[in-house]
Amino acid sequence: MAAKDSPLKQFEIDPISNIELGGYNISFTNSSFAMLITVLVITLFLTLTVNTRSIIPSRMQLISELMYNFIAQLLSDTVGDNGKRYFPFVFSLFMFVLIGNMVGMIPYQFTFTSHIIVTFALAAVVFIGVTILGFINHGIKFFTFFYIPGVPFYMHPLLIPIEVISYLSRPISLSVRLFANMLAGHTLLKVFAGFVVSMPFFTGVFPLAFIVALTGLEILIAFLQAYVFAILTCLYINDAYHLH
Amino acid sequence: MPQLNPEFFVSQLFWLAVFFTFLFVFLWRVSLPRIATVLEKRQNKIDENLSSAKELQEQAMEIEKKINDQINKAKLETDEKIKETINALQEDVSSQLSSLDKDLEKKVSDAEKEILKSKDDQMKNINNEIANITKLTVGKITDIEMSDNEINKVIETHKGSFN
Repeated sequence: MAAKDSPLKQFEIDPISNIELGGYNISFTNSSFAMLITVLVITLFLTLTVNTRSIIPSRMQLISELMYNFIAQLLSDTVGDNGKRYFPFVFSLFMFVLIGNMVGMIPYQFTFTSHIIVTFALAAVVFIGVTILGFINHGIKFFTFFYIPGVPFYMHPLLIPIEVISYLSRPISLSVRLFANMLAGHTLLKVFAGFVVSMPFFTGVFPLAFIVALTGLEILIAFLQAYVFAILTCLYINDAYHLH
Repeated sequence: MPQLNPEFFVSQLFWLAVFFTFLFVFLWRVSLPRIATVLEKRQNKIDENLSSAKELQEQAMEIEKKINDQINKAKLETDEKIKETINALQEDVSSQLSSLDKDLEKKVSDAEKEILKSKDDQMKNINNEIANITKLTVGKITDIEMSDNEINKVIETHKGSFN
Protein backbone atom coordinates (compact mmCIF):
# COMPACT_ATOMS: atom_id res chain seq x y z
CA MET A 1 0.00 0.00 0.00
CA ALA A 2 2.78 2.37 0.88
CA ALA A 3 4.39 2.41 -2.52
CA LYS A 4 6.76 5.23 -3.21
CA ASP A 5 4.28 7.40 -5.14
CA SER A 6 1.09 6.29 -3.40
CA PRO A 7 -1.26 9.18 -2.52
CA LEU A 8 -1.50 7.64 0.94
CA LYS A 9 2.21 7.93 1.57
CA GLN A 10 1.68 11.41 2.98
CA PHE A 11 -0.18 9.87 5.92
CA GLU A 12 2.75 7.71 6.97
CA ILE A 13 4.21 8.44 10.36
CA ASP A 14 7.96 8.92 10.60
CA PRO A 15 9.57 9.01 13.99
CA ILE A 16 11.78 12.03 14.52
CA SER A 17 13.29 10.71 17.75
CA ASN A 18 12.65 7.30 19.18
CA ILE A 19 11.39 7.34 22.74
CA GLU A 20 10.23 4.36 24.75
CA LEU A 21 8.39 4.54 28.05
CA GLY A 22 7.45 1.48 30.08
CA GLY A 23 7.73 -0.76 27.06
CA TYR A 24 5.53 1.47 24.93
CA ASN A 25 6.75 3.26 21.83
CA ILE A 26 6.04 6.93 22.35
CA SER A 27 8.38 8.24 19.67
CA PHE A 28 8.16 11.89 18.80
CA THR A 29 6.94 11.71 15.21
CA ASN A 30 6.05 14.05 12.36
CA SER A 31 2.47 13.84 13.67
CA SER A 32 3.59 14.96 17.13
CA PHE A 33 5.57 17.72 15.46
CA ALA A 34 2.43 18.94 13.67
CA MET A 35 0.60 18.93 17.00
CA LEU A 36 3.44 20.88 18.57
CA ILE A 37 3.29 23.49 15.80
CA THR A 38 -0.50 23.66 16.13
CA VAL A 39 -0.34 24.22 19.87
CA LEU A 40 2.45 26.80 19.49
CA VAL A 41 0.54 28.69 16.79
CA ILE A 42 -2.62 28.81 18.90
CA THR A 43 -1.01 29.75 22.20
CA LEU A 44 1.37 32.30 20.71
CA PHE A 45 -1.28 33.91 18.54
CA LEU A 46 -3.86 34.17 21.30
CA THR A 47 -1.27 35.43 23.77
CA LEU A 48 0.67 37.91 21.64
CA THR A 49 -2.28 39.48 19.88
CA VAL A 50 -4.06 40.24 23.14
CA ASN A 51 -0.83 41.22 24.88
CA THR A 52 -1.54 44.96 24.80
CA ARG A 53 -5.09 44.39 26.11
CA SER A 54 -6.14 47.53 24.28
CA ILE A 55 -9.75 48.61 24.36
CA ILE A 56 -9.55 49.57 20.72
CA PRO A 57 -8.20 46.33 19.23
CA SER A 58 -5.57 45.93 16.59
CA ARG A 59 -6.53 43.78 13.61
CA MET A 60 -4.79 40.73 15.08
CA GLN A 61 -6.40 41.25 18.47
CA LEU A 62 -9.73 41.50 16.68
CA ILE A 63 -9.17 38.05 15.16
CA SER A 64 -8.63 36.55 18.61
CA GLU A 65 -11.71 38.30 19.93
CA LEU A 66 -13.76 37.16 16.96
CA MET A 67 -12.77 33.54 17.60
CA TYR A 68 -13.61 33.96 21.27
CA ASN A 69 -16.99 35.46 20.51
CA PHE A 70 -17.68 32.92 17.77
CA ILE A 71 -17.37 29.96 20.14
CA ALA A 72 -19.00 31.81 23.04
CA GLN A 73 -21.99 32.55 20.80
CA LEU A 74 -22.09 28.97 19.58
CA LEU A 75 -22.16 27.66 23.16
CA SER A 76 -24.76 30.11 24.41
CA ASP A 77 -26.98 29.41 21.38
CA THR A 78 -26.90 25.65 21.77
CA VAL A 79 -26.45 25.06 25.50
CA GLY A 80 -27.43 28.36 27.09
CA ASP A 81 -26.07 29.61 30.39
CA ASN A 82 -25.00 26.11 31.46
CA GLY A 83 -22.52 26.10 28.60
CA LYS A 84 -20.22 28.77 29.99
CA ARG A 85 -18.15 26.40 32.09
CA TYR A 86 -17.38 24.19 29.07
CA PHE A 87 -16.22 27.17 27.05
CA PRO A 88 -12.46 26.58 27.55
CA PHE A 89 -12.80 22.96 26.50
CA VAL A 90 -14.93 23.61 23.41
CA PHE A 91 -12.71 26.52 22.44
CA SER A 92 -9.56 24.39 22.79
CA LEU A 93 -11.16 21.61 20.80
CA PHE A 94 -12.24 23.97 18.03
CA MET A 95 -8.87 25.70 17.82
CA PHE A 96 -6.94 22.42 17.97
CA VAL A 97 -8.93 20.89 15.11
CA LEU A 98 -9.05 24.12 13.10
CA ILE A 99 -5.36 24.94 13.31
CA GLY A 100 -4.47 21.24 12.97
CA ASN A 101 -6.40 21.19 9.69
CA MET A 102 -4.82 24.46 8.57
CA VAL A 103 -1.30 23.33 9.42
CA GLY A 104 -2.06 20.25 7.33
CA MET A 105 -2.76 22.52 4.36
CA ILE A 106 0.86 23.64 4.33
CA PRO A 107 2.63 21.60 1.62
CA TYR A 108 4.75 18.72 2.96
CA GLN A 109 3.27 19.28 6.42
CA PHE A 110 1.66 16.37 8.20
CA THR A 111 -2.10 16.45 8.92
CA PHE A 112 -2.70 14.82 12.28
CA THR A 113 -6.51 15.19 11.97
CA SER A 114 -6.33 12.71 9.06
CA HIS A 115 -5.50 9.97 11.55
CA ILE A 116 -8.51 8.11 12.89
CA ILE A 117 -6.77 7.36 16.18
CA VAL A 118 -6.36 11.09 16.88
CA THR A 119 -9.88 12.11 15.91
CA PHE A 120 -11.31 9.10 17.69
CA ALA A 121 -9.44 10.00 20.86
CA LEU A 122 -10.85 13.53 20.75
CA ALA A 123 -14.36 12.24 20.04
CA ALA A 124 -14.02 9.69 22.83
CA VAL A 125 -13.06 12.42 25.29
CA VAL A 126 -16.19 14.32 24.27
CA PHE A 127 -18.37 11.20 24.41
CA ILE A 128 -17.13 9.98 27.78
CA GLY A 129 -17.21 13.46 29.24
CA VAL A 130 -20.76 14.08 28.07
CA THR A 131 -21.94 10.71 29.36
CA ILE A 132 -20.40 11.35 32.78
CA LEU A 133 -21.96 14.81 32.74
CA GLY A 134 -25.35 13.29 31.94
CA PHE A 135 -25.10 10.91 34.90
CA ILE A 136 -23.94 13.73 37.19
CA ASN A 137 -26.87 15.92 36.18
CA HIS A 138 -29.63 13.31 36.06
CA GLY A 139 -28.31 10.24 37.89
CA ILE A 140 -29.99 7.03 36.85
CA LYS A 141 -32.70 9.05 35.10
CA PHE A 142 -30.19 9.73 32.35
CA PHE A 143 -31.31 6.40 30.83
CA THR A 144 -34.68 7.98 30.03
CA PHE A 145 -32.71 9.78 27.32
CA PHE A 146 -33.28 6.65 25.22
CA TYR A 147 -37.02 6.73 25.86
CA ILE A 148 -38.85 8.94 23.40
CA PRO A 149 -42.06 10.31 24.89
CA GLY A 150 -45.25 10.56 22.83
CA VAL A 151 -44.61 7.42 20.82
CA PRO A 152 -47.05 4.41 20.83
CA PHE A 153 -45.89 1.90 23.46
CA TYR A 154 -45.42 -0.96 20.98
CA MET A 155 -42.80 1.13 19.17
CA HIS A 156 -40.50 1.29 22.17
CA PRO A 157 -38.93 -2.16 21.78
CA LEU A 158 -37.77 -0.96 18.37
CA LEU A 159 -36.95 2.65 19.19
CA ILE A 160 -34.97 2.18 22.40
CA PRO A 161 -32.31 -0.03 20.78
CA ILE A 162 -32.09 2.44 17.89
CA GLU A 163 -31.57 5.29 20.33
CA VAL A 164 -28.92 3.35 22.23
CA ILE A 165 -27.08 2.46 19.03
CA SER A 166 -27.25 6.05 17.76
CA TYR A 167 -25.93 7.29 21.10
CA LEU A 168 -23.07 4.80 21.10
CA SER A 169 -22.18 5.61 17.51
CA ARG A 170 -21.73 9.28 18.28
CA PRO A 171 -17.95 9.10 18.86
CA ILE A 172 -17.56 7.03 15.72
CA SER A 173 -19.53 9.43 13.52
CA LEU A 174 -17.81 12.43 15.10
CA SER A 175 -14.33 11.05 14.55
CA VAL A 176 -14.88 9.39 11.18
CA ARG A 177 -16.44 12.56 9.75
CA LEU A 178 -13.33 14.60 10.47
CA PHE A 179 -10.87 11.85 9.61
CA ALA A 180 -12.58 10.94 6.32
CA ASN A 181 -12.86 14.54 5.19
CA MET A 182 -9.18 15.18 5.79
CA LEU A 183 -8.14 11.85 4.28
CA ALA A 184 -10.23 12.34 1.16
CA GLY A 185 -9.19 15.95 0.62
CA HIS A 186 -5.48 15.33 0.99
CA THR A 187 -5.61 12.17 -1.10
CA LEU A 188 -7.40 14.02 -3.87
CA LEU A 189 -4.82 16.81 -3.79
CA LYS A 190 -2.03 14.27 -3.98
CA VAL A 191 -3.66 12.39 -6.85
CA PHE A 192 -4.02 15.56 -8.89
CA ALA A 193 -0.52 16.60 -7.98
CA GLY A 194 0.59 13.31 -9.51
CA PHE A 195 -1.32 14.20 -12.71
CA VAL A 196 0.52 17.51 -12.98
CA VAL A 197 3.81 15.64 -13.18
CA SER A 198 2.72 12.74 -15.35
CA MET A 199 0.65 14.57 -18.00
CA PRO A 200 2.51 15.39 -21.25
CA PHE A 201 3.65 18.85 -22.34
CA PHE A 202 1.78 21.82 -20.91
CA THR A 203 -1.47 19.91 -20.19
CA GLY A 204 -0.28 19.61 -16.62
CA VAL A 205 -1.60 23.13 -15.96
CA PHE A 206 -5.18 21.80 -15.95
CA PRO A 207 -4.76 19.55 -12.92
CA LEU A 208 -2.63 22.32 -11.41
CA ALA A 209 -5.51 24.78 -11.76
CA PHE A 210 -7.76 22.15 -10.25
CA ILE A 211 -5.39 21.81 -7.28
CA VAL A 212 -5.49 25.55 -6.72
CA ALA A 213 -9.30 25.52 -6.64
CA LEU A 214 -9.31 22.39 -4.50
CA THR A 215 -6.92 23.98 -2.02
CA GLY A 216 -9.45 26.76 -1.47
CA LEU A 217 -12.16 24.18 -0.97
CA GLU A 218 -9.94 22.24 1.45
CA ILE A 219 -9.35 25.37 3.53
CA LEU A 220 -13.12 25.84 3.67
CA ILE A 221 -13.54 22.21 4.70
CA ALA A 222 -10.80 22.60 7.30
CA PHE A 223 -12.81 25.37 8.92
CA LEU A 224 -16.14 23.66 8.40
CA GLN A 225 -15.05 20.39 10.00
CA ALA A 226 -13.65 22.20 13.03
CA TYR A 227 -16.95 24.05 13.28
CA VAL A 228 -18.95 20.84 12.95
CA PHE A 229 -16.79 19.18 15.60
CA ALA A 230 -17.37 22.08 17.98
CA ILE A 231 -21.10 22.45 17.35
CA LEU A 232 -21.73 18.71 17.75
CA THR A 233 -19.80 18.80 21.02
CA CYS A 234 -22.07 21.68 22.11
CA LEU A 235 -25.17 19.72 21.12
CA TYR A 236 -24.01 16.66 23.05
CA ILE A 237 -23.34 18.82 26.11
CA ASN A 238 -26.84 20.23 25.71
CA ASP A 239 -28.26 16.70 25.60
CA ALA A 240 -26.53 15.95 28.90
CA TYR A 241 -28.52 18.80 30.46
CA HIS A 242 -31.85 18.47 28.72
CA LEU A 243 -33.25 15.00 28.29
CA HIS A 244 -36.05 14.86 25.76
CA MET B 1 -3.48 2.67 4.83
CA PRO B 2 -1.02 4.08 7.39
CA GLN B 3 -3.85 5.21 9.62
CA LEU B 4 -4.71 1.63 10.51
CA ASN B 5 -1.17 0.64 11.38
CA PRO B 6 -1.18 0.28 15.16
CA GLU B 7 2.56 0.72 15.42
CA PHE B 8 2.32 4.40 16.40
CA PHE B 9 -1.12 4.40 18.11
CA VAL B 10 0.35 4.72 21.56
CA SER B 11 2.75 7.46 20.46
CA GLN B 12 -0.09 9.36 18.77
CA LEU B 13 -2.33 9.08 21.82
CA PHE B 14 0.48 10.02 24.17
CA TRP B 15 1.50 13.17 22.30
CA LEU B 16 -2.11 14.09 21.63
CA ALA B 17 -2.81 13.87 25.36
CA VAL B 18 0.29 15.92 26.17
CA PHE B 19 -0.30 18.69 23.65
CA PHE B 20 -4.06 18.88 23.97
CA THR B 21 -3.88 18.98 27.76
CA PHE B 22 -1.25 21.69 27.58
CA LEU B 23 -3.35 23.65 25.08
CA PHE B 24 -6.50 23.27 27.16
CA VAL B 25 -4.84 24.33 30.41
CA PHE B 26 -3.00 27.22 28.77
CA LEU B 27 -6.11 28.59 27.06
CA TRP B 28 -8.25 28.03 30.14
CA ARG B 29 -5.82 29.69 32.54
CA VAL B 30 -4.03 32.29 30.42
CA SER B 31 -5.42 33.18 26.99
CA LEU B 32 -9.16 33.10 27.49
CA PRO B 33 -9.20 35.11 30.75
CA ARG B 34 -7.10 37.75 28.98
CA ILE B 35 -9.53 38.05 26.08
CA ALA B 36 -12.44 38.00 28.51
CA THR B 37 -10.86 40.86 30.49
CA VAL B 38 -10.40 42.92 27.35
CA LEU B 39 -13.97 42.30 26.23
CA GLU B 40 -15.30 43.09 29.69
CA LYS B 41 -13.21 46.25 29.89
CA ARG B 42 -14.54 47.37 26.54
CA GLN B 43 -18.12 46.58 27.53
CA ASN B 44 -17.66 48.57 30.74
CA LYS B 45 -16.20 51.47 28.80
CA ILE B 46 -19.12 51.39 26.36
CA ASP B 47 -21.64 51.21 29.18
CA GLU B 48 -19.89 54.05 30.97
CA ASN B 49 -19.88 56.20 27.86
CA LEU B 50 -23.50 55.38 27.17
CA SER B 51 -24.59 56.26 30.68
CA SER B 52 -22.60 59.50 30.68
CA ALA B 53 -24.06 60.34 27.27
CA LYS B 54 -27.51 59.71 28.67
CA GLU B 55 -26.77 61.94 31.65
CA LEU B 56 -25.48 64.70 29.41
CA GLN B 57 -28.54 64.37 27.23
CA GLU B 58 -30.78 64.71 30.25
CA GLN B 59 -28.85 67.78 31.35
CA ALA B 60 -29.11 69.26 27.88
CA MET B 61 -32.84 68.62 27.88
CA GLU B 62 -33.18 70.31 31.25
CA ILE B 63 -31.26 73.33 30.02
CA GLU B 64 -33.36 73.43 26.89
CA LYS B 65 -36.48 73.35 29.02
CA LYS B 66 -35.16 76.18 31.15
CA ILE B 67 -34.37 78.23 28.07
CA ASN B 68 -37.81 77.59 26.65
CA ASP B 69 -39.40 78.55 29.94
CA GLN B 70 -37.42 81.76 30.01
CA ILE B 71 -38.30 82.53 26.42
CA ASN B 72 -41.98 81.95 27.15
CA LYS B 73 -41.76 84.09 30.25
CA ALA B 74 -40.04 86.87 28.33
CA LYS B 75 -42.65 86.60 25.61
CA LEU B 76 -45.45 86.92 28.13
CA GLU B 77 -43.74 89.87 29.76
CA THR B 78 -43.20 91.67 26.47
CA ASP B 79 -46.79 90.97 25.45
CA GLU B 80 -47.95 92.49 28.68
CA LYS B 81 -45.67 95.50 28.28
CA ILE B 82 -46.84 96.01 24.72
CA LYS B 83 -50.45 95.80 25.84
CA GLU B 84 -49.83 98.23 28.67
CA THR B 85 -48.08 100.68 26.38
CA ILE B 86 -50.83 100.42 23.81
CA ASN B 87 -53.44 101.01 26.49
CA ALA B 88 -51.55 103.98 27.93
CA LEU B 89 -51.07 105.45 24.46
CA GLN B 90 -54.72 104.91 23.65
CA GLU B 91 -55.75 106.62 26.89
CA ASP B 92 -53.36 109.45 26.20
CA VAL B 93 -54.62 109.81 22.66
CA SER B 94 -58.25 109.69 23.70
CA SER B 95 -57.70 112.22 26.49
CA GLN B 96 -55.83 114.50 24.12
CA LEU B 97 -58.54 114.00 21.51
CA SER B 98 -61.24 114.85 24.04
CA SER B 99 -59.38 117.96 25.23
CA LEU B 100 -58.87 118.91 21.59
CA ASP B 101 -62.58 118.35 21.02
CA LYS B 102 -63.37 120.56 24.00
CA ASP B 103 -60.98 123.26 22.78
CA LEU B 104 -62.43 123.05 19.32
CA GLU B 105 -65.96 123.19 20.66
CA LYS B 106 -65.05 126.18 22.77
CA LYS B 107 -63.36 127.85 19.87
CA VAL B 108 -66.31 127.08 17.62
CA SER B 109 -68.76 128.42 20.14
CA ASP B 110 -66.58 131.50 20.70
CA ALA B 111 -66.40 132.05 16.99
CA GLU B 112 -70.14 131.59 16.69
CA LYS B 113 -70.66 134.09 19.45
CA GLU B 114 -68.28 136.52 17.74
CA ILE B 115 -69.99 135.96 14.46
CA LEU B 116 -73.37 136.59 16.07
CA LYS B 117 -72.00 139.66 17.81
CA SER B 118 -70.43 140.98 14.64
CA LYS B 119 -73.64 140.15 12.79
CA ASP B 120 -75.59 142.17 15.34
CA ASP B 121 -73.06 144.99 15.07
CA GLN B 122 -73.26 144.88 11.35
CA MET B 123 -77.03 144.84 11.53
CA LYS B 124 -76.91 147.87 13.85
CA ASN B 125 -74.52 149.63 11.50
CA ILE B 126 -76.69 148.70 8.55
CA ASN B 127 -79.70 149.99 10.43
CA ASN B 128 -77.86 153.22 11.24
CA GLU B 129 -76.76 153.55 7.65
CA ILE B 130 -80.27 152.81 6.51
CA ALA B 131 -81.52 155.43 8.94
CA ASN B 132 -78.96 157.99 7.78
CA ILE B 133 -79.61 157.22 4.12
CA THR B 134 -83.30 157.35 4.78
CA LYS B 135 -82.94 160.69 6.65
CA LEU B 136 -80.84 162.14 3.89
CA THR B 137 -83.05 160.80 1.13
CA VAL B 138 -86.21 161.95 2.84
CA GLY B 139 -84.63 165.38 3.55
CA LYS B 140 -83.54 165.83 -0.07
CA ILE B 141 -86.74 164.69 -1.62
CA THR B 142 -89.33 166.11 0.70
CA ASP B 143 -87.79 168.75 2.85
CA ILE B 144 -89.41 167.02 5.78
CA GLU B 145 -87.20 167.03 8.79
CA MET B 146 -87.63 163.66 10.48
CA SER B 147 -86.17 162.91 13.88
CA ASP B 148 -84.05 159.90 14.34
CA ASN B 149 -86.68 158.24 16.45
CA GLU B 150 -89.30 158.54 13.78
CA ILE B 151 -87.05 157.15 11.14
CA ASN B 152 -86.10 154.23 13.35
CA LYS B 153 -89.72 153.50 13.97
CA VAL B 154 -90.49 153.43 10.30
CA ILE B 155 -87.53 151.21 9.58
CA GLU B 156 -88.51 148.84 12.35
CA THR B 157 -91.95 148.45 10.92
CA HIS B 158 -90.63 147.72 7.41
CA LYS B 159 -87.71 145.63 8.49
CA GLY B 160 -89.35 142.34 7.66
CA SER B 161 -89.91 143.35 4.09
CA PHE B 162 -86.17 143.67 3.22
CA ASN B 163 -85.05 140.60 4.73
